[in-house]
Amino acid sequence: MDRKKKILDILRKRPLILDGATGTELFRRGMPAGSCPEKWVLANPDAIKSVHRDYERAGSDIVYTCTFGANRIKLAQHGLSRVREVNRKIASLTRQAVNKKTMVCGDIGPSGRFIEPYGNLKFEDAVDLFKEQIRGLLSGGVDLFGIETMIDIQEARAALIAVKELTDKFVMVTMTYEKNGRTLNGTDPLSALITLQSLGADAVGCNCSSGPDDMLKIIRSIKPYARVPLVAKPNAGMPKLIQGKTVFDMGAEEFSRLCKGFILAGANMVGGCCGTSPEYIRQLKKRIGNSKPIMPLRKSISALSSASGTVLIEKNRGFVIIGERINPTGKKKMQEEIRKGDLSFVRELAGEQEAQGAHLLDVNVGVAGVNEKEAMVKAVNTLSSINPLPLVIDSSNPEVIALALRLNPGRSLINSISAEKNKIKRLLPLAEKYGAMFILLPLSDKGIPKASGARKKVIKEIFAQAEKFGFTKDDIIVDGLALSIASNMEYAQETLKTIEWCAKVFKCNTLVGLSNISFGMPNRKWINAVFLKLAREKGLNSAIADPESAKLADKPIVKKIIRERKNNVSAIFDYFLKASFKEKGKPLARGVPVEEKISRVVLEGGKEKVEGLIKEAIAKGRSPYQIIERTVVPAIVRAGELFDKRKYFLPQLIASAETVKRAFDFLEPYIKKDRSKRKQKAMILMATVKGDIHDIGKNIVVLILESNSFRVIDLGKDISPARIISAIKRFKPDIVGLSALMTTTMIKMPEVIGLARKEGLKCKFLVGGAVVNKNYAREIGAEYAHDAIEAVRLAGTLSKT
Amino acid sequence: MEPTIFERITIPVPKGLIYRRLGYREGVTGISSLQKRQIEKYIAQATTLINLKGTGLVIPIKKKNTGGITLFEGTILKSKSLALLFKNSNEVLLMAATCGIKIMDAIKRDSQGRDVTRAVVFDATASEMTDAALGWIMEYFNRELRRQDKCLTKRRFSAGYADFVLENQKLIYRLLDLKRMGIKITKSCILVPEKSVTAVAGIING
Repeated sequence: MDRKKKILDILRKRPLILDGATGTELFRRGMPAGSCPEKWVLANPDAIKSVHRDYERAGSDIVYTCTFGANRIKLAQHGLSRVREVNRKIASLTRQAVNKKTMVCGDIGPSGRFIEPYGNLKFEDAVDLFKEQIRGLLSGGVDLFGIETMIDIQEARAALIAVKELTDKFVMVTMTYEKNGRTLNGTDPLSALITLQSLGADAVGCNCSSGPDDMLKIIRSIKPYARVPLVAKPNAGMPKLIQGKTVFDMGAEEFSRLCKGFILAGANMVGGCCGTSPEYIRQLKKRIGNSKPIMPLRKSISALSSASGTVLIEKNRGFVIIGERINPTGKKKMQEEIRKGDLSFVRELAGEQEAQGAHLLDVNVGVAGVNEKEAMVKAVNTLSSINPLPLVIDSSNPEVIALALRLNPGRSLINSISAEKNKIKRLLPLAEKYGAMFILLPLSDKGIPKASGARKKVIKEIFAQAEKFGFTKDDIIVDGLALSIASNMEYAQETLKTIEWCAKVFKCNTLVGLSNISFGMPNRKWINAVFLKLAREKGLNSAIADPESAKLADKPIVKKIIRERKNNVSAIFDYFLKASFKEKGKPLARGVPVEEKISRVVLEGGKEKVEGLIKEAIAKGRSPYQIIERTVVPAIVRAGELFDKRKYFLPQLIASAETVKRAFDFLEPYIKKDRSKRKQKAMILMATVKGDIHDIGKNIVVLILESNSFRVIDLGKDISPARIISAIKRFKPDIVGLSALMTTTMIKMPEVIGLARKEGLKCKFLVGGAVVNKNYAREIGAEYAHDAIEAVRLAGTLSKT
Repeated sequence: MEPTIFERITIPVPKGLIYRRLGYREGVTGISSLQKRQIEKYIAQATTLINLKGTGLVIPIKKKNTGGITLFEGTILKSKSLALLFKNSNEVLLMAATCGIKIMDAIKRDSQGRDVTRAVVFDATASEMTDAALGWIMEYFNRELRRQDKCLTKRRFSAGYADFVLENQKLIYRLLDLKRMGIKITKSCILVPEKSVTAVAGIING
C-alpha cells in the first residue's frame, strides 16, 4: 500500500502522532548553542538517531529528519555546499534509526531569505533551491514531507510547488503564527489554509510560535473550511526570557491535557515543537492516541484568498463585488504608467476600491506595445503585498494567466475560461495545477450565444470538461454574460434567465460584468444599478463592477421603479434611460447665526466650507474685519486652548489652522483695500537650521502662527547661519524662530544667535525641536516652545517686551 | 556575512501608536466621527505610499570595555552604556528600516501648504510604521536565533541614545550597506529618506 494512502487510512481511524523538538534534544545531547544542527548531526550521527528512537518509543508515528535548515542558503552560511548529499545522508540516518512502521518526514524549513516582493529572492530560485533539498531527501528514503515554520505564504507555496513538481508523496504545510493570529508577514490562518489546500497540500496547520492554548483557537477557526486534515505542533507554552535564558514553562502533563482539545477541534496530526521532548509526546500519545478524529468537513469550497485575506463565496455570505477598475482600457493615465513600469495609480485604485467595499480585485494590465507578462508579474507582486483583497486574473493570454497563477500568493480566480478550444485546453490544466477557481464564460468558438437556452448548453459542456480535472461546482462562477441593451433590450432578459437557471437549477455561483449592460447608453450608473437589482433577485451572487455604482442598487428609487413597472425589464430600463438625476447639496443648518457657523467650521476644521460661510456673512453685511477679529481669531484661539488641554490633538488643531488660513486667504482682497483697519501682530522669521532636513514641525508652527495673525517669513530648511543673519537684516523681524531635530544640528542654533549678537542685531530668538529643551534654550540665550501653541503664546509675549 | 534584506515588510498598522504620537489621549481627547473618518482615511492613504524595507546583520563582538563595543570586523560602537547594556552578549544585531521615498514626497508636498493636516497624519504613520518595522526585524531574527538556543535583548538602541552618539549611525550605515537600500546619510548623520531608522540589539545565549 503506498504511504499516502496508508496515512489517509490511519487518519480516518485515529490521529497521527508527530514528534517533538529536535533542537532542544540535540542541545541536551551536547550540541553547542549557535551550531549548525545539520553539520553537527553528520558529525554525531548517534545523537540524532537516539533522538528519533526516543520519539518513536514515546509513540511518534512520524519523525522529522534533522534538515530544517538543509537548504543551499542556510548550509552555505556554515560552509556546507553539497545540499543533496547532506539531505540524503541525514534522511538515511533517520530511516536507519526507526523501524519500518514509523514514517520518516523530510523536514523543510524556511530558506533564510525572503521571496520577491518581500525580499530579493526570485520565486523560481526559491522553487529550485527547495527542489535541490527535496531530491536529497527523496534519495534518503523519506515517506512524506513536512514544510514547516513558514512565516511567508509565498515561501510555503514555493516549497509546496517544488514538492508537487517532483513527487506525489504526502505533504503537510505548517505556518507559524504570532500572538495577533497572523504570521510575521501578515497571513491569517484561514487564508493560508485556502491557499495551501487549493495548491495541493495534503495537510495544513501550524507549528511553533505559540503554545497549545493559542494554537487551539487557530485550529478551531479553520476546521469548518478545511478539506484536508489539519496539523498542530505547538511549543511547550510561550518562550520566556528568564535571567537571560529562553524558557518554555509548560510541563508535559499540562501540554498533553491542552492538546486533547486539538482532537475535539478537528486536528488530525498532532506533535510538539520548541521546548517539547519525548516525555511530552509519550503523554500526548497516551491522552489522544486512540481518539476518534474529525475528518475534513468539506470536499470543496468556494473561497478565494490573498496573502492576508479570504473571501468566501457562499449564499449566506453576502454579495461579492469584484472591483473592475484595474483595467487600462480607456484609461490613458494607467496605460502610460504601465508602459513606464510604474504602478502608483494601480496601487491607488486598489486602495480606493477596497475602501469603497470591493471584495476582490480584477487585474487586467493588457496594453498595446507592453510585455503583458512582465506587467502582470509586477501588478501581482505589488497588489498581493499591499492589499488584502484576493485577485482575479484577467487576461486573454493563457501564458500571462499561467505566470500570474504561479506567482499570486493566494487562491486566484481566473477571468475567464470559455469553451474556445485553444483556451479551455490550456487553461483547465493550469487551473487544476494551481487550485484556482474560474469564471466560466458561456461562449464558444462559434461566438456568444444570445439566447439563454444556448448558453446553458455551453455551460454544461465546459463544466463536464472541468469535472474531468476534478473541479466541482464550488470551483466555478458562471458569467451570465451581460450584453449592452443598446443593441437589443432583450439581451438583458436572456442574461437574467441564465442567472436564474444557474442559481436555482444548476446550483452554482453566478456573476455579471455589470458595466457591459449599459455600454453606449445614458445614465449608465443607474442602468447598471437597476440591472444589478434585477439580477440579484434572480440569484446573482457576484458582479464585476465599480463598487460605487453597485451601491446605487440599494437606493429606494430603484426598488420603487421595479415595483411600479412590475418587473417589466424594458419598461424599467426605459424609465432610467429617460430620467434626469441631479446631485443634491446638503442644505446648511437654518436658524444658526452665520458667525456661529463660521466658528464651528473653524473648530471642526471644515476648510472646504469656510469660504461659503464667509460669503454668506458678507452678504448679510458683516465686514471682513468683524469676521476675522470677532469670529475667526477667537475660534482658533479656542482650538489652541482645547489642544493645550489635550481635548484636541494635533490633526484637529492643524485642520482648524488650515481653515483659518483659507479664511484669511479668501478675505485678503477685501482687507487689502484698507489694511490699516486690521490689527497687525509681530513679524517672525522662521528657519530650520543648517544640516537639518526635518521641517514638518517648523511648517506646523508657521501655519499656527499665521492663523493667529502673525506675519511669518519662512526661510525653509537646511538654512545656513549666514543666510539667516542676512534675512534678519533685510526683514527686521521681531522674533526669529529656529528649529532643529537632531543633536548634530542643534549646535547651529547658538552659532546663529552668536552671529546675530556680534552683528548687533536685537531680535529675540525662539527655539524648538525634538532634541531642544528649556535649559538648552536658556544656555544659548533663547526662549523655548515645546509646541506650536506655546510658540504662539511666547511670540505674543516676546513681541510686547 | 551579508546583511539579510527585507524588500517589503508587512505589518499591521499600529493605529493606537499613531494616534498617540499625534497627541490623542484616551478619555480626554474628543473627536467627532467625521474627523475620525478623515484621519482614518489619511492613515489608509499613507499605508499605500509607505514601502517598508529593512535589513539586519548579526556580528560577533570582539571585546567590550568602557570605550564601547568592538565588533569582530574591527568597528567600534562608541558607547559605555551600550557596552554595559550588552554585557551578557557575544553578538549584536544591527538593523535598519525605511518607509521609502514616496511617503516623504507626499509629506513634503502636503506640509508646504497643500494639506498640512494630512501631512501630520502621514508623518506620524510613517514614523510609527518604520519603528514597528524594526520590531518586526527583531521578531524575525529572534525566531531564527531561538533555534540556535539564543535570543535578542528585549530592548534595541538607536544612535542618539545616551552616550551612543548619533555619529555611530555612520558606522551602522556602512556595515548594513544602507546605500543598497536607497538610503543616504548626510554630513550631520541624518538618514534620507527621513523616516529611516537604525538600531542595535544584543544577542544572548539561551
